[in-house]
Amino acid sequence: MKLELGYIDIQDIQFSEESKIANGVLYVNKDEIQKIVLGQEHIRSVEIDIARPGESVRITPVKDVIEPRVKVEGPGGIFPGVISKVGTVGSGKTHVLRGSAVVTTGQIVGFQEGIIDMAGPGADYTPFSKLNNLVLKMEPEEGLAQHEHEHALRMAGLKVATYLGELARNVQPDETQEFETYSIPEGMEKLKGLPRVAYVLMLQSQGLMHDTYVYGVDAKRSLPTIINPTEIMDGAILSGNCVSACDKNTTYHHLNNPVVMDLFDKHGKEINFVGVIITNENVYLADKERSSDWTAKLAEWLGLDGVIISQEGFGNPDTDLIMNCKKIESKNIPTVIITDEYAGRDGSSQSLADADALATAVVTGGNANELITLPKLDKVIGDVSYVERIAGGFNGNLKEDGSIVVELQAITGATNEMGFNRLSAR
Amino acid sequence: MAQLRIVQYINQFFAQIGGEEMAHIKPELREGIVGPGLAFNQAFGDEAEIVAAVICGDSYFNENLETAKKEIVEMVKSQSPDLFIAGPAFNAGRYGVACGSICDAVKKELGIPALTGMYVENPGVDMFKESVYIVSTKNSAAGMRDAVKKMAPLALKLGRNEKIGASAQEGYIPNGIRVNFFEKERGSKRAVDMLLKKMAGKDFVTEFPMPDFDRVKPNPAVKNISKAKIALVTSGGIVPKGNPDHIESSSASKYGRYDIEGVMDLTADTYETAHGGYDPVYANEDADRVLPVDVMREFEKEGKIGSLFHYFYTTVGNGTAVKSAKKYAEEIAAELKKANIDAVILTST
Amino acid sequence: MQIVTNNPLVREKLQDHYAVDYAEGSFGELLVRVRDKAHLGYRLLSHPLSGSVKPNETPYKSVLISDGPGALDVESLTIIENSILTADKFPVKYPQMSAKMRADFQLIDYTLLQSAL
Repeated sequence: MKLELGYIDIQDIQFSEESKIANGVLYVNKDEIQKIVLGQEHIRSVEIDIARPGESVRITPVKDVIEPRVKVEGPGGIFPGVISKVGTVGSGKTHVLRGSAVVTTGQIVGFQEGIIDMAGPGADYTPFSKLNNLVLKMEPEEGLAQHEHEHALRMAGLKVATYLGELARNVQPDETQEFETYSIPEGMEKLKGLPRVAYVLMLQSQGLMHDTYVYGVDAKRSLPTIINPTEIMDGAILSGNCVSACDKNTTYHHLNNPVVMDLFDKHGKEINFVGVIITNENVYLADKERSSDWTAKLAEWLGLDGVIISQEGFGNPDTDLIMNCKKIESKNIPTVIITDEYAGRDGSSQSLADADALATAVVTGGNANELITLPKLDKVIGDVSYVERIAGGFNGNLKEDGSIVVELQAITGATNEMGFNRLSAR
Repeated sequence: MAQLRIVQYINQFFAQIGGEEMAHIKPELREGIVGPGLAFNQAFGDEAEIVAAVICGDSYFNENLETAKKEIVEMVKSQSPDLFIAGPAFNAGRYGVACGSICDAVKKELGIPALTGMYVENPGVDMFKESVYIVSTKNSAAGMRDAVKKMAPLALKLGRNEKIGASAQEGYIPNGIRVNFFEKERGSKRAVDMLLKKMAGKDFVTEFPMPDFDRVKPNPAVKNISKAKIALVTSGGIVPKGNPDHIESSSASKYGRYDIEGVMDLTADTYETAHGGYDPVYANEDADRVLPVDVMREFEKEGKIGSLFHYFYTTVGNGTAVKSAKKYAEEIAAELKKANIDAVILTST
Repeated sequence: MQIVTNNPLVREKLQDHYAVDYAEGSFGELLVRVRDKAHLGYRLLSHPLSGSVKPNETPYKSVLISDGPGALDVESLTIIENSILTADKFPVKYPQMSAKMRADFQLIDYTLLQSAL
């Protein structure tokens, strides 16, 4: 399966009469965006804002971050099974509005989380401070149930991203890149002698505000399966996860999965990147056993020589991670796992909720409990009064000078467990 | 910024007084630079200066732990330094333990930041890595230049009370405190590179070592204990009175094997402990409390066990490197197997 | 199968359909209650740290365990002990929590549990 990504670099977003892309600027007609958002059932009002890199702006509480993309050639459409009809994606051509994103915010439940600072020390910890963001602050109808509220915010964000992506359909990309994986016999033939490597991608799947969708299917209701990495680039995996800001995988992370990109970088040269095994992180312990049995079985069945496993979220997924690692290692397939740590504010506590001696190769996204002081910024999109209540915040953390002291876990994407960032710990 | 004042601790060897034959010398304070201080002073430039050295023999320190510590802390205090450096001790076990203990004492009692350097297998590392910053050095004094290069910048940071980064950045041995920092590459790239190395069987360094799982699977139960030949092995330091083989009170360099043919009971007149890491009074009063020969003899007589092996094996677990302990165990196990022992009772302290 | 919980919403919604062992108490106390049961030979069926809401951030937790006690299940014991160690790292934040927020945390815990039922 072969996909060409055409990157259109977005240097700025501006409001305008007409929505279009010209000279690296994404022009957006506010009314049209408003029409799309309010067209979504259950949303009463929306404020639309722009946050650019370096601006003194704080966005909170963040729900999801979505990169606009459009399918210009090949079967299927972007976000299949949710926005576009169900149909296999991952081949042909896709245009990407690189450097831009749609950020959704809103209060689904009383406790909220996710800070994106566009400037200051906090900006170093979130990858989204480097993007031009179109921010949607949405209010629901009175009395809306939480799961309907979550669904409405998620759908509105995806629809706006799809609308923006569509603007790039006929724009000449600044750069193109090709990604191709092979069928099993083809790969055996063409890349003979290269180690066969796959990626086990663990998806959060536990209930309200903890879910991930694959072609529209709730991941907790599926057994582990195989997916082409290029399908993920076309939005086959979408985030419905609004909890644990620092180590949840937003839709942006899925679209730009760094493990996929870095494995492709070695593909055909040092390795044969066979594909991606997706698995879930369910609540029920028997599900954890079954799913990890299944990933190990698939790894063996694909004749792999090595596996990278990435995690999502905090606490019980440590158990899934270790089960996956242990069972795949037991098939004599070497693994590297990517996780993050909760070692306490002083860094002295045991980092993971589970561990095993077979996990000899670990990459860490850092200690999510470490404290950081975020200075007062000029503008807040969303509501900073939630900050005391967000995970990683605490009573009295909002100082008189407007600065806030939080744990890194409050910052969106700070300790990402796909290895999206440079942050680490020793 | 004012120049930092530093006092350095070194042993008799690095003070060029002598080797093992001079290891008994008592603590001595010398103003100015002695031995490795020169290299450190060069590395510090104008920013810090070693103003004095405390010199002490390794045997004296380890055999007179409490008095030696007190004497040395007083000497350090008299110089009112901003920072204390001990060693580096490389792979010298007793020197390493001394460096660790004295850094710990200076930190706790004088509130002065302290730094030492050791080879990762030095027994001082396991004892003190969590309480003192220990820079990882090579295993012999030939690595002095390298050690100074790593220790000097960290010393300046400590002396100025600056924020200390992660172990991987600063060069100290991981101390159980996880510290965040930004790597050169993103995590996914690091993971791919690590996997390539792991698949190729090359060395790689995990970013998070799993908690130590040096667990031993229990053997199946002894089928018939009333017929079993049983041996006693201890790390509690029980030895015949007078410690004939001079097993050290800490960082033991050997183990002993002693015949207990016909010995029915260990008494205060016949046995004692060589262990320096616990209050020896009760073990010296009745060594059966650590090595239960008396009870084993009773069981033997009552037919509860087959017989007690006529040798027992003993060493001191206090600060003894895991590597040494493993070596002793391998040798002991080989002898026990040869003697057709069915089961072993291991006692500690 | 039975539900050990400190979540009143779970008791209200599920007590007619499942065996619900409800007791008021903190997050930490609930985990200790589960641990005591693990020692008695009950097997864990759901993970005590289900969800990504941090322990002590939320006051509520529901854990599924086996019906009757059997032989001691070491795996269950390890998981609950590790969960307690992990939870203890997080400061308790809920004493002065609003009723609305309590209701939200109850709902989240309830849906996490539901996903395992």
